[in-house]
Amino acid sequence: MPCRQGLNLRLDTVRTIAYNVDIVAELLGAFEQAVLLAVWKLAEDAYGRGILRGVQSALDREVTAGAVYATLDRLEQKNLIASRLEEGTPVRGGRVRRYYRVTGVGVKALNESKAALEQMWRGARWPLESNA
Amino acid sequence: MTRQSPPRWLEHALIFLLSPRDRETIAGDLLEEYREEQAPRLGALRANLWYLRQSISFLSIRSTGGPPVKAALTWVSVATALAGIWLAVMENILKHAGYGARTAVAASIVAEALGTLVFLMLDGRFVFRLIILAGAAALGALGISAIARNFTREHFEGFVLIVGCLLIAQAAMTFAVVLRGHHPKAV
Repeated sequence: MPCRQGLNLRLDTVRTIAYNVDIVAELLGAFEQAVLLAVWKLAEDAYGRGILRGVQSALDREVTAGAVYATLDRLEQKNLIASRLEEGTPVRGGRVRRYYRVTGVGVKALNESKAALEQMWRGARWPLESNA
Repeated sequence: MTRQSPPRWLEHALIFLLSPRDRETIAGDLLEEYREEQAPRLGALRANLWYLRQSISFLSIRSTGGPPVKAALTWVSVATALAGIWLAVMENILKHAGYGARTAVAASIVAEALGTLVFLMLDGRFVFRLIILAGAAALGALGISAIARNFTREHFEGFVLIVGCLLIAQAAMTFAVVLRGHHPKAV
């Protein structure tokens, strides 16, 4: 009997992971993860300029503003982030700032994407070597 | 002290490319980055190039935000406009017989291409759509005629074939985008 319980448990785990992988594949691409993580890391200071720098630093390459803002837009449409407007400063010509924060769904998606990645790599030694 | 700023036309171009929702926020973010980081670090010229590159990135993002045909139409329109400008310049340098009329045709090609770009950026009104469609039909006819004449001429010109194909492609895609309602919505 305990053995069967163990089997059921394992099956449930496998099902959950398979489900999560589907969700992540549907929701988050690598660039989206980078943007979402940058927003999360910046917390209260997450507005466009800082996010752009955060993504560049995380990916270690030059990233255009257009790509980052389009991703922010897409993440907001998916309810993974939310935004609010705040007053601008003189250095930006008084133009308002849009601050972003990661929503609960966004945190869940990030956690799931990390878990899914780890699950996929389980059993493979990094860096991979050619099988041929 | 006067703060450095990108050229006004470049700022206007960026604002033109942004949706109404993002105009203030993104233009503000880039101005802040320009003033606090790029201009002091790179100098005015390279900072302006940086600003230009960021602005262009919104052109491609804006165009790829919708269906693929809209993105393709954006880039075909850019190519058509450049081809039209090149044609007009060459006609005025070479000044062969009838160059005035051909310059006018080249200018019309540029106008239609720019009009299509404006249409893609803004939510075009009904009359604007009709004008764009009429222009697209004319471009398509011009492209077909140019290719047909190119094949019957003594000297085949590859450039005419490329431009003719561009015009036909632009006409077909404009019809696809306008008639299917694949135009950007005002945000």
